[in-house]
Amino acid sequence: MKDRSQDAGERRLVEAAQKDPGRFGELYENNFERVYAYIARRVGNREEAQDLTAEVFHQALANLARFEWRGLPFAAWLLRIASNAIADSWKSKAREQGNPSSDELLSHDVDMEDVEQRAKLFRLVTTLPEDQRRVVEMRFAQEKSIREIAEELGRTGGAVKQLQFRGLESLRAQLSAGPRKKAAPKLGARSANKSGGTNG
Amino acid sequence: MAKQNLSEQLDRIVEALIARPRGTAPGREPNVGASLRPLAKIAAQLRDLPREDFKERLKLDLERRTSMASKPVSATEVRQTAVPYLCVKDAAAAIDFYKKAFGATEVMRLIGPDKKIGHAEIRIGNSAIYLSDEFPDHGALSPQTLGGSPVRISLSVDNVDAVAARAVAAGAKEIRPIEDQFYGERSGLFADSFGYMWNISTLKEEMSGAEMQKRMDALMNQGTSPTRPTVKPIPEGFHTLTQYLAVNGAATLIDFFKEAFGALEAFRVPRPGGQLIMHAQLRIGDSILELADATEEFGARAVANILHVDDVDAVYQRALKAGATSLSTPREQSYGDREAGVKDPAGNQWYLTAIRKTDHRTADTRTILPHLSLVRAAEFVEFAKRAFGAEEAFMFKGPDGKVVHARLRIGDSILALGEASDERAALPAALHMYVPNVDAVYAAAVREGVKVLRPLRDEPYGDRAASLQDAFGNFWFPATHIKDVGF
Repeated sequence: MKDRSQDAGERRLVEAAQKDPGRFGELYENNFERVYAYIARRVGNREEAQDLTAEVFHQALANLARFEWRGLPFAAWLLRIASNAIADSWKSKAREQGNPSSDELLSHDVDMEDVEQRAKLFRLVTTLPEDQRRVVEMRFAQEKSIREIAEELGRTGGAVKQLQFRGLESLRAQLSAGPRKKAAPKLGARSANKSGGTNG
Repeated sequence: MAKQNLSEQLDRIVEALIARPRGTAPGREPNVGASLRPLAKIAAQLRDLPREDFKERLKLDLERRTSMASKPVSATEVRQTAVPYLCVKDAAAAIDFYKKAFGATEVMRLIGPDKKIGHAEIRIGNSAIYLSDEFPDHGALSPQTLGGSPVRISLSVDNVDAVAARAVAAGAKEIRPIEDQFYGERSGLFADSFGYMWNISTLKEEMSGAEMQKRMDALMNQGTSPTRPTVKPIPEGFHTLTQYLAVNGAATLIDFFKEAFGALEAFRVPRPGGQLIMHAQLRIGDSILELADATEEFGARAVANILHVDDVDAVYQRALKAGATSLSTPREQSYGDREAGVKDPAGNQWYLTAIRKTDHRTADTRTILPHLSLVRAAEFVEFAKRAFGAEEAFMFKGPDGKVVHARLRIGDSILALGEASDERAALPAALHMYVPNVDAVYAAAVREGVKVLRPLRDEPYGDRAASLQDAFGNFWFPATHIKDVGF
């Protein structure tokens, strides 16, 4: 999945962050969606996924000096922290509820390809045109109804549904466009220069 | 139509998805057409989409930890003595916008039980800005509620053009384009959609206050020097408002106006290489009427006008003969006027009126009076007051509170309007609006949320003008005449 130059780039990032924790932000940006997707696949609700994701990155930052480069991607280290954090959380919950059988859940396998695909999808959402991005974010991440979104954006329900459709359609198109193109956030790439007017 | 169906179908799938408890098996959705199946799959995955504000908060949290660990920040760098405190109608959206437009970073936000932001702090460059949502009970009101803010915020940046382009891409509106200023800055003025104006500038030349004063005095003298020809900001013959028709077949329509209403043609400017008319000016009685062949940007649309005439019956007959269709035959009205209605060949409506009882010649009795049939007419009245300084000259509301007939004064002109109904279809207007200072009018209109179709700029025909559309469907073309060029 990853080629050598990517590995080298990541290695430099990790070493830079080990010297100056101020550089941790780049590692966070590169891995946030992956970690979140992995955790969200395994826990039942958003609050828990958020708590655990925060815990993973805090632990990673605190223990960064101990990370040794052994050829495994940095993400694998993060996901191991995530896996442990999820297990701890389940164990403590099971203890509270006196229900030891939840150990079964721990062996539940997560398909890593699926996690990568979701992480990519989440990153692509941030590159959608502004109005589509807002609708997708409000509908799925904030779980708002079409009516709430329509009110907030000052548009009709039909228009919001169209934006939702177009947003998902363009996500689908970009996902199937292949893995070579790395999604980079674009700032206002669409031009709003269509001029109107009459007199001349 | 098919797309409409697909978006509806997709939403039903999404709705079912969201209603399902998280973590339950995604079972096969019923009735998912083959074309929607990939989208349904994406929708299912998006259920786990992380919230943007969560990602951002966690990042800030981590940054705070790392900056505490690595480099101590001096207290003076963090705490500036005077900090602007913006009250906005939707603080979360404003923070979002300032991030995109000005690269702001969020320092913190406090969210109350009502989900409103009681206090938030952002940083732009090296400066802090505080924000909160509106709390009318505590006197915290936003510019949108107050009708504007007298305080502008000045952003000093390294590259004004790049920053402004980014702000506009994020949704800011240009109020004054970027220009080199006499005081050594290159700057422009931009409005956000929360009622605040931002003066964005880059320092090009440092100078003392005295030097600035000297340059300003020189500029002012130049302005009043007798060698500079004076230009009337409102061209001869124009009043504040002039209806501007966009039609298919402008040349035919001009002939109709001549025949039916006795119009005189002042001039016409053909479009290059064709029969089509780019701009024409007619005079009917004491009023000007402008028209052009429709373009892709300014499509054909019908408007309505009241046309004051001496002899309703005669004009009505002439109009029908010239190709109009009848809307209503001439008849006496309870309020003493005699009225008839015709539709011209382009579909514009003309309410022919002979005034009997009112004999004073005012703006009310000018030959052409634009008439607007609007959905939410009462709201439009309030909007026109805020955006264009309109005054109510007459207001008659029905028992349901809807405007039956109203007249608004804008500058030296009158607009007639009423609520659209089943009998009277919505017919917004397209109004050329000559004012002494188009920049101020433009700024006020933009602040009130009109859509900018063409931003304010100096046009080759000697006007400084813009094209706007309000939320009620009316087009406005505010302009100030700045240079006599002649056609």
